[in-house]
Amino acid sequence: MFTKQLTGRRLWIAALIMPPLVFVCLFIVYPIISAFAYAFFEWSGLARGDFVWFENFHKVLFVEPFASRTVNAFSHNVFVFFALMVFQNGLGFVLAYFLWRELPGFRFHRIAVFLPVVLSTIVVGFLWRLFFHPLFGPVNAGLKALGLGFLTQPWLGQDTTALWSIVFANAWHMVGFPTLVFLAGMQRIPGEVLDAVRMETQSEWVKITKIVWPLVAPSATVVFTLLFVGAFNWFELPYIMVGLEGSPHGSTDVLGLYFYRTAFGNQSGAPPDFGAGSALAVLIFLFIAIVAGTLTIRMRRREIEL
Amino acid sequence: MVDLSLRGIKKRFRTVDVLHGIDLEIKDKELVVFVGPSGCGKSTLLRLVAGLDPITDGEFWMAGTKMNDVAPSRRGIAMVFQSYALYPHMDVYENMTFGARLMGLDNAEVERRIAEAARMLRLDALLKRRPKELSGGQRQRVAIGRALVRKPELLLLDEPLSNLDAALRSEVRLEIAKLHRDIGGTTIYVTHDQVEAMTLADRIVVMNQGRVEQFGSPRELYETPANTFVATFIGSPQMSLLEMERDGDRIGIAGTGSVVPGRLPAADERQVIVGVRPDAVVITPGEDGEGLSARVVYTEYLGDNAFTYVRLANGQLISVRCTPDTEFAIDAPVRVGLLPNKAHFFSSATKQRLPA
Repeated sequence: MFTKQLTGRRLWIAALIMPPLVFVCLFIVYPIISAFAYAFFEWSGLARGDFVWFENFHKVLFVEPFASRTVNAFSHNVFVFFALMVFQNGLGFVLAYFLWRELPGFRFHRIAVFLPVVLSTIVVGFLWRLFFHPLFGPVNAGLKALGLGFLTQPWLGQDTTALWSIVFANAWHMVGFPTLVFLAGMQRIPGEVLDAVRMETQSEWVKITKIVWPLVAPSATVVFTLLFVGAFNWFELPYIMVGLEGSPHGSTDVLGLYFYRTAFGNQSGAPPDFGAGSALAVLIFLFIAIVAGTLTIRMRRREIEL
Repeated sequence: MVDLSLRGIKKRFRTVDVLHGIDLEIKDKELVVFVGPSGCGKSTLLRLVAGLDPITDGEFWMAGTKMNDVAPSRRGIAMVFQSYALYPHMDVYENMTFGARLMGLDNAEVERRIAEAARMLRLDALLKRRPKELSGGQRQRVAIGRALVRKPELLLLDEPLSNLDAALRSEVRLEIAKLHRDIGGTTIYVTHDQVEAMTLADRIVVMNQGRVEQFGSPRELYETPANTFVATFIGSPQMSLLEMERDGDRIGIAGTGSVVPGRLPAADERQVIVGVRPDAVVITPGEDGEGLSARVVYTEYLGDNAFTYVRLANGQLISVRCTPDTEFAIDAPVRVGLLPNKAHFFSSATKQRLPA
């Protein structure tokens, strides 16, 4: 009788788990494993050639001009990660704090801050490409209207400002996400704990650094890890705003774009190289998995149950 | 030296008036208990004193300084919260040093105070533990320790025993009483439990619906309650209130009988409310005789005591303290008499005490 029930229960569990499991295997596990395999072969177009051991990895890491392109793209990913850490997660924390303290107008801003997050990246990319247009874009028009005409730039057209501009668009798009996560974390802090701090200090700085920040550690783990993964997988926004080449002059090139060009070729005629592309993909995957894993484990240690 | 003065304190949350003008003078080194049913405004009043919520109207003075606009951390007040509100990411030692260091005390002084508080509250073995690893009673002691380390001029306790089980509650209550004797600072203690209030307080503030009903020593409150609210709130089982009519030196209820209560109020109202505590009443078995006629409802046997509840002929319930060996059959007829000079009299109209 008991065994029968258990079997029935197991059947149910199996039936519920199977569809997503099949989906994950087919569309996530299988492609990753194939990429692993592809990376060890020589490719000519879509035809698989000889097994070449680590030659593709060696090529993207140590053979010029591929190696310096890899380093260039990687350094931009690192920049994007740190810039977004400050302008997206940092600002998100500050915004969350103001929303949480319920300053005047917080109901409106709570929604306003999160609104861009629901837009598709494609839409945001096109929107900001238009906004940054040197002649017709509202950004330059706005600067002129404010009497700051000397600040107008071809934002996306020069290597000193292009990456910053895309980072800005990304922060505008996604700042609502860390805000929401931090806000949720702050709202879990018991009211009496905050009253207790107020009995001991009136310094907002002490309150934030010694009480609020340590107590929203779980939120920080989530947004830091997701930002790390996002920054090193960065693709859509630069692809839409500046194109596959990471123009101008590779100043916005990131690993995602470089991988795509290498694996699938580009308009300027470079032939697709599945082997080198897969090797890049594998390296990116391993890098993200190892660092994000370590990061999560280390930050989890900081968390305490409320 | 801090004496407190609350003058016409009012509090409004949006459109709801929570406190309607509180006037209190609290003396230095006094332990004052705010007591009242939930929603009476006692915790709100405590938060206004602490400075956690702004005062809508009125003035709060501490030792001759107006405190309305002084930040909570600058008032020289420490508070123990109902949930203890320990910082969950700090161990006991850090919880206690946090506030002391923010006061700008040097390390030696902080260490000295921690050692003193730890010894007094038996926390020495717990200093390296996180709040999560402590029992309710231990957390309570840490919360008190954290407050004492700051050597506050005024200590506030907001229902500090309500999260403890019954056995621990009386133990901690004794500890708090002892601490107050040893340290001797001005203390305000909020509770809804009249036993806590009676046992701890130098003076009690009885509150109801945002007003102070009476402010006095436990003895004053018990022996001369200012109105029917205080009369029924203090004392357990509570005082029975009877609408009665005066006739010469007798008071009675139509169709139920009459008694001679002894001392009568000076005012000559005919219709009065008579309050009788369980120990002011005697019952004698039988239909006939002196007193009000009643029937036994049930008896509570408590070992050293027993309470018999009887229903008067007009339907009103009275509790009577009896010796534990008395036994009444349910529904047995009895006569209810009053011990001389033990009844309280209140005006039927205003519910206020009528002095003798």
